[in-house]
Amino acid sequence: METNSPSKGFTIPIGPQHPALKEPGFFKFVVDGEVITGASVRLGYAHRGIEKAAEQRNWVQDLYLIERICGICSHIHALAYCLAVEQLANVQAPPRAQAIRTLVAEMERIHSHLLWMGVSAHEAGFDTLFMFAWRDRERIMDMLESLTGNRVNYSANLLGGVKFDVDAAQAQSIRSGLDYLEERIRHYQDVVTHDEMFLQRTRGIGVMTRSLAEVMGAVGPTARASNVPRDLRATAPYAAYSQFPVKMILDTRGDLEARFEVRLEELLESIRLIRVILNGLPESELTIRLPRRIPAGETVVRLEAPRGEVFYFIKSNGTDKPERLKIRTPTICNMNSVVRLAVGHQLADAPMILAGIDPCFSCNDRMVEVSKVKDGSEHSMTWQELRQYGIDYYRRLSK
Amino acid sequence: MNTEEILSLAEQIVKSGDWTTDVSRPKANQLDVKVNVVHELLPIVEGLRAKHLDYLSAIVGLDLGLQANEIEVLYFFCPEDAIVVLRVRIPRQNGSLPSLCEIAASAEVFERELREMFGIEITGLHETEHLYLPDDWPDGVYPLLKDFDPSMISTQTEKA
Repeated sequence: METNSPSKGFTIPIGPQHPALKEPGFFKFVVDGEVITGASVRLGYAHRGIEKAAEQRNWVQDLYLIERICGICSHIHALAYCLAVEQLANVQAPPRAQAIRTLVAEMERIHSHLLWMGVSAHEAGFDTLFMFAWRDRERIMDMLESLTGNRVNYSANLLGGVKFDVDAAQAQSIRSGLDYLEERIRHYQDVVTHDEMFLQRTRGIGVMTRSLAEVMGAVGPTARASNVPRDLRATAPYAAYSQFPVKMILDTRGDLEARFEVRLEELLESIRLIRVILNGLPESELTIRLPRRIPAGETVVRLEAPRGEVFYFIKSNGTDKPERLKIRTPTICNMNSVVRLAVGHQLADAPMILAGIDPCFSCNDRMVEVSKVKDGSEHSMTWQELRQYGIDYYRRLSK
Repeated sequence: MNTEEILSLAEQIVKSGDWTTDVSRPKANQLDVKVNVVHELLPIVEGLRAKHLDYLSAIVGLDLGLQANEIEVLYFFCPEDAIVVLRVRIPRQNGSLPSLCEIAASAEVFERELREMFGIEITGLHETEHLYLPDDWPDGVYPLLKDFDPSMISTQTEKA
C-alpha cells in the first residue's frame, strides 16, 4: 500500500503501537515540508493466528474464540459466526432470538460510534467533546451490562439462538436511557456542524470522492459519507433486519465533517430501531437445537459491523472442527483508502484522517520518530507531540 | 438491479468469452464460477468491472490438503446482496496467480496475505513485504497450509 516512492523528503514513521485495537499499524508518511507526499502501512502487530487456531478447535469452542477478536464489536463477530454455522446446519434461530441479536447489534453500534466520536474529537484537540461523548457512552455500556451481564464481550449468542431474554423492566430502562442519549446526540450534531474551531479540522479535510471510495473498496460509514450505498443492513438484511428495516444514511461530501454527520445520524437511526424492536419483540423460543454434526459445506456471511462490512467464510468438512474459517474485517478495507487520502494533506491533518475511518484506537502512548533524510539527524516525537503539533498548527493558522 | 438480474448479468459475462468456465448456483444469491485456466482470471475480472460488479469483498485461500496437492483460491465479488465467486486451483508448490491490483486496487492486501500465508507467488504485485507476519518470520514457512507445524518457527524473542 505505498503511494509514492520514499526517495524524496523526510520519512516519518508512526507506530507500530498506533491506531487499532486488533490491528495496531505502522504508518510511514513521506513529507515535503508540511505536505504529505507518500504514505504506506504495515499491519500484523497484533496478529494472533485466529484463523489457524479456529481450525484446531471445535464448533462450540470457536464461538468463544471468535467473540474475543475485538473488544468493541465482539457481538457482530459472534453473530456472523453463529449465522454461518446455522446456515451450514440448515437451521434458523427463532424470531425472538433474531430480534434480540439485532437489538444487541444496534446497542453495540451506539457504543462504538460514541467511542469513535470521542477519540476523533480528542485527535482534533476538542477534549470537552471527547469527555462528554465517553461519559454518555457509559450509559449505553450500563444498558448492555444490565441486559447481558457484561460491558464488553456480551456473549449474547449461542449456536442456534441467544442466551437471555429481555423482560419488561429491562426494556423500560433501555427506553429511558435512549431518551437521554437521543437528546445528547442531537446536541453533538449541533456541535460538530457549528463549532467553528472544530469545522476547521473537519470541513474539506480528507475528502474521498465516490469513485475513489468505490475503487479502494471502502466500507461502512467511511464509504457512506462518500455517497457509496453500502449498508448490508439495508441492501442484504440478515438476522431481524428484514422485519425491522433500517434507513441507510448517505452523504455526498466525503470529508471528515460528512463522516461525523453520517455516524451521528446513524446513532439516531439505531435509537429509533431499538425502540421499534423493543415494542415489537416477537414471541418465540430463544434457541433451536442444532444437529450434533455440522454437515460438510461452504458458507459466506456478510454483516454490517459498526465500521463496515465484516465478511466470514466457513468451510466445513463434516467433522467437529471447521476446515477453514476466513474473517475479513472492515478496517483492512478502509486502511487502503487512508493511505491514498493522506497524500496532499498537511502533516497536521494526518491524525484526523486516520481517526476518520475509525480504526479502533487503543494505545495512546505512541512513539513517532522523525528522521531527517537530508542531514541524517534524527529526533523523536511522541504521538501526543504530533497531535499537539497538529492542534498548534491550526491555532497559528486561525490567528 | 435486483439479485437475480445481477447474477444473470454476471453469468452472461463469464460465458461470453471463449473461456473454459463451469458455472453453478449453489444458493439463491450466489454464483460459483470455476475458472479452469489461470490466465483467464484477469479478463473475467475486467468483464465484471465493465458492468460495475467489481466490489471485491475478500480473497480466500483454501489448502485442499497433501493428497489433492492443490490450493483453491476464491475471489468473492459482492455487488449488493449477490455473491459472485471465482474459483481458481493452482498447485500447492510453486503456484502462481496474476495480480488483480491493476483492475481492482483493493486486492493488494488480500494478495499480500495469500502470498505470506500460502506461499502463492502473485505476479505483478509491487509490494511484497510482510503484511501480517513478523519481519523475522522464516522463509518458506506458510502458516495456513495444512501441514504447517508451529514448531518450525522460533522467533527472535524465543531465541534470546
